[in-house]
Amino acid sequence: MSILDWIAVLFLFAGSFFFLGTAIGLLRFPDFYTRTHAAGKGDTLSSFLILAACMCYAISHSHDGLGTVLLVLKLLFIANFIGIGSPTATHAIMDAGYETGVTHWHKDKAK
Amino acid sequence: MIWQFDLILLTLVVIFALISLRVKDLMGASIVFGAYSFLMCLIWAGMGAVDVAFTEAAVGAGVSTVFMIATIYNTGRMIKPRPQDMSFKLLMMLVVVITGAFLLTAVNDFPEWGDPYSPVNDHVAAYYLTHSMSDTAVPNVVTSVLADYRSFDTMFETAVVFVALIGIYGIIRRRRKQDDSDSDTDALPPYDPSESLIIRQASRMMVPFMQIFALYVVAHGHHSPGGGFQGGVILGASLILYSMSYNLPTLFKKMTEKWIILLSAIGVLIFSGVGVICMMLGSNFLDYSVLSQILPATDSVMARSHAMLIVEIGVAFTVMCAMVGIYTSLASNGRFDKGL
Repeated sequence: MSILDWIAVLFLFAGSFFFLGTAIGLLRFPDFYTRTHAAGKGDTLSSFLILAACMCYAISHSHDGLGTVLLVLKLLFIANFIGIGSPTATHAIMDAGYETGVTHWHKDKAK
Repeated sequence: MIWQFDLILLTLVVIFALISLRVKDLMGASIVFGAYSFLMCLIWAGMGAVDVAFTEAAVGAGVSTVFMIATIYNTGRMIKPRPQDMSFKLLMMLVVVITGAFLLTAVNDFPEWGDPYSPVNDHVAAYYLTHSMSDTAVPNVVTSVLADYRSFDTMFETAVVFVALIGIYGIIRRRRKQDDSDSDTDALPPYDPSESLIIRQASRMMVPFMQIFALYVVAHGHHSPGGGFQGGVILGASLILYSMSYNLPTLFKKMTEKWIILLSAIGVLIFSGVGVICMMLGSNFLDYSVLSQILPATDSVMARSHAMLIVEIGVAFTVMCAMVGIYTSLASNGRFDKGL
């Protein structure tokens, strides 16, 4: 395995770790806002990391020059769309919740 | 195909289907249903049917979820339990169990998955696979079967999409004069996302790229997964995103109701018009090879390839307008002035 492969493995593990964090946060946080926050941030970051792993893998394993460049470009575009779309969706959900009066969590209200 | 992965996916599909039936909150049910569609898309992709997976992702997971949410917006979010006697439910269960038993007995008669001697594979499929390149110069066999060998089916599928649009218009379109009694939505509390600058800017960044990608999918369907249906759905989805992030009147400034109906009819007209031109040139309906007489610089093989592109463009028109038309009529409750 080349160095790029090891970097890809590293990225994959980091992405899976943050996905795990997202799932735990989504289940364990106390109210709507904090849960959405966990979903929005963790999801975006871990998608980025896994896409980066895909790029490293593509670079080290395919040998037709232009094809690799196009593949990496497509992955970059996907990353770009996730980067725009996911935080905006999170914002939209949170804003809708705020406008319709979902209450915050307070420490002294905790059971 | 890795069978462990498939097993996990199929189990999850069954679980999601049961959840979406059990959940009382319809909004949650439709989201779960979208997740179900996405898992189905992964299963198709694993089986190598990338075109089907593409359609499932665009239609099942994307647009139909939006349709369901738009319907919930105008009807009601919670299931109201209806008092029914137990005997009716038992009768229904009996019917379902008997039907299911019959279906399960038929499972044994199916051929093995991927069996080369199954009836599907030893009839015409081998001809399509071996002759697609020499007959039509299209490497993606799905496109050549869909738009050339079996274009009769596809033409009527396009007509069905058009008829669905007309049907939905006929059912929920209302005249603007008589609508004083329809503020009856007990659905979602009023919230207007078009007030948010962030959403507007994000959609302004995304919509043009989505449309360019949709055109690429339509035009590149000969060589890669894609085609008129998928591209049309993505075009429709980009317009739906535009109207959601601004509001419906902004969409109608770009694309009025008249154009929606007109363009969807034009799509079917392009498809069947190609067929009629083939007949006029002295061949069978939708036999594209004679088009080489009128298309410049094409032999009879390339004529089939080019005619497929024309036909796919027609499909894309119809599907795009059907998606936008269904969404707008559902979201505005048939009034076409405001909504969602």
